Amino acid sequence: MDEKVPRSNIIETEIPMGTVHPAALEPYRVRFFVEDEIVQEAEITIGVNHRGIERIMEGLPVEKANALTEKICGICSNSHIWNSCRTAEIGLGIEIPERATYIRVIMGELERLHSHFLYLAHGCEVLSHETFSMRIFYLREIVMELLAMIGGNRVQYGCSVLGGVRPRCDVDEAKLLRLKNDMDAVEEGLTGFVERFLADSVVQSRITGVGALPHKQAIKLAVTGPTLRATGVARDLRTTMFEYDNFDFNVITQPDGDVRSNLVMRALESFESIKIIRQAIANIPEGKVVTRDWEMFDTDIIESYIEVPRGTLYHSYALESGRVRHCIIRTPSMANIGAMKYACIGEQLTDAQLCIVQCDPCFTCTDRAIEIIRR
Amino acid sequence: MFSNVISNSIVIAAITVIVCFIISTLLPGIERKYIHARIQQRIGPILIAPGIMAPIKFMFKENVKVESPVPGLYKILPILCFIVVTCLIIALTPQAFAIPALSSLVAIVGLLKVEEICYVLMGALSKSVMSVRMPFPDQIKGAAHNNVTRSFVEDISSRRSLRMITYGSFPLYLALFAPITQARSIFLPDIVAYQQAHGPILFTVSGAIAAIVFFIGYMIILNEYPFSIIKAKSDVIEGPYMEYAAKYRAIVYLTRGFFMMVLGVLFSVLFLGIPPLITSWSFLINIVVALIFVFMMGIFSAFSPVFTNRQLLPTILGTTLLGVLAVVVGLL
Repeated sequence: MDEKVPRSNIIETEIPMGTVHPAALEPYRVRFFVEDEIVQEAEITIGVNHRGIERIMEGLPVEKANALTEKICGICSNSHIWNSCRTAEIGLGIEIPERATYIRVIMGELERLHSHFLYLAHGCEVLSHETFSMRIFYLREIVMELLAMIGGNRVQYGCSVLGGVRPRCDVDEAKLLRLKNDMDAVEEGLTGFVERFLADSVVQSRITGVGALPHKQAIKLAVTGPTLRATGVARDLRTTMFEYDNFDFNVITQPDGDVRSNLVMRALESFESIKIIRQAIANIPEGKVVTRDWEMFDTDIIESYIEVPRGTLYHSYALESGRVRHCIIRTPSMANIGAMKYACIGEQLTDAQLCIVQCDPCFTCTDRAIEIIRR
Repeated sequence: MFSNVISNSIVIAAITVIVCFIISTLLPGIERKYIHARIQQRIGPILIAPGIMAPIKFMFKENVKVESPVPGLYKILPILCFIVVTCLIIALTPQAFAIPALSSLVAIVGLLKVEEICYVLMGALSKSVMSVRMPFPDQIKGAAHNNVTRSFVEDISSRRSLRMITYGSFPLYLALFAPITQARSIFLPDIVAYQQAHGPILFTVSGAIAAIVFFIGYMIILNEYPFSIIKAKSDVIEGPYMEYAAKYRAIVYLTRGFFMMVLGVLFSVLFLGIPPLITSWSFLINIVVALIFVFMMGIFSAFSPVFTNRQLLPTILGTTLLGVLAVVVGLL
């Protein structure tokens, strides 16, 4: 596929949208430069929801700082606290009980399911297909209830702590049985949804070939996560994470990088998550869920990368007298902004928000990044 | 004696219009509760919420200051739309058949066009905070293209409305003219009389094809999914209606329900030969036809995403060809 080039010389008018817009769940400003309703260039600006979480974390005891990271995102809150704990655990050399690792994986995959279902529902909503959107939201509800069962809440679970998971998040036989049954229900519902979705020719005509991102361009733009895998690049950090060593799963890719590929990719990836959760249910070891025998000491800057539902999440900080110093958090949407702008080029204005949404933006989380321009 | 007949006719026509209006307030609720909500496996709003309770609520809300170059005209447009729809239903009553200027298809088409032009004006006159007026530092050093003309999302909606006038609603007008080819008259009394003599046009080949075209045109003119490009939530949000609040929004809501009813009645007149008359049992058929259209529209819209130009143009072209076929078959 030829590279799409912004055609700035034929711009007829600019149509700005946001920071409040019903098609955009996130607070961002987008300026579409169009010619006869065809987008020639797009500019996305974020920064209206900067909360300065890294600044607040500076000097906080590491346990408190970990808890605070959960407030970064309402969708992948578990991923943030997991990676934040993981950062300190790497630095302090804390060995986590295997049962805790399994519970973290279960929580991580449940979160991936609810994030992907939210993505699918939001995609259908932007397509103005409310029926599909509602049906996938019903499936998501099962997953949300499972997260609440294990974590105690639907959004802020507070599951991971330094050394493992909170004892209240341990899963007994009854919970494992419900988890197993609900995974069957989710799989059945999702299979039905995917079959209906792919068989709907009107929907397919709206999404096929729209917002295409070639894999070369995706790599050039440093795109991450499912958005990258939807372009055909099999790159998933879970394959290198020690937590997933005992799990067998496939890295799902799709060939075209368009809206269809992105939607289908996430639907298929959800089946892999169900597979991982089933393996965790079947093989979860007995034992304690948290280890307390570790000691605090000062460290250099520690870095940790994990694969979260939207891509690669980066946490780093140093520890000084048990307090956090020089904290940096980078969420995946930061890396995907370039892809969002690129995907809009050459598309109908009605499809433009869809092209942004296909990259699964989470700008409220991303509003912590500062771009340093070295001159 | 003569004045008594006239006053009786006026009273009957007025009661017919009022009853149609009352029934029309239930149609949005029926569409949302019994079709959309049932298909989407949710409870949905209570029946009278969208068509009755919401307008009453809006009537008592404080209005917001409209940002428009001609706020007076902008605010009067929903009222004009309501008047147009009322004139349409009056034109369809048998009592109005005595006024040739009102009871011809030319008048019907003219009134429908006024309704469509109102959307263009609404879009052009609305300058909401949702795009250019949003207080956001767009044009600053380092930003892309600081010297480009800027458009409100409503401007886009207005241009789309204009496009819908030129070719989007064409299938509906073709369907309206299909009965003429059989009745050989543009006057509603003649079309009704022809059907009373020869049976409903709907049950002819030409009429059946035209009915399909009419239904698609019905969805287009009501801006319902998948044809709602002038108020697509994915870009232009509410389009022409964006800045209507309080009593003006109430009128928008009421007009939409009333328009659904009136188009159903229009179908009854043109394709079944049954004009709305409150004193006749046949009035029930008018109501049933209006309900059938609401049900069909609800089902289609619940299973369709909004169209872009890529889907809209072929659909309209195909429907137009069907409409031409209906006219040609009717002439033959």
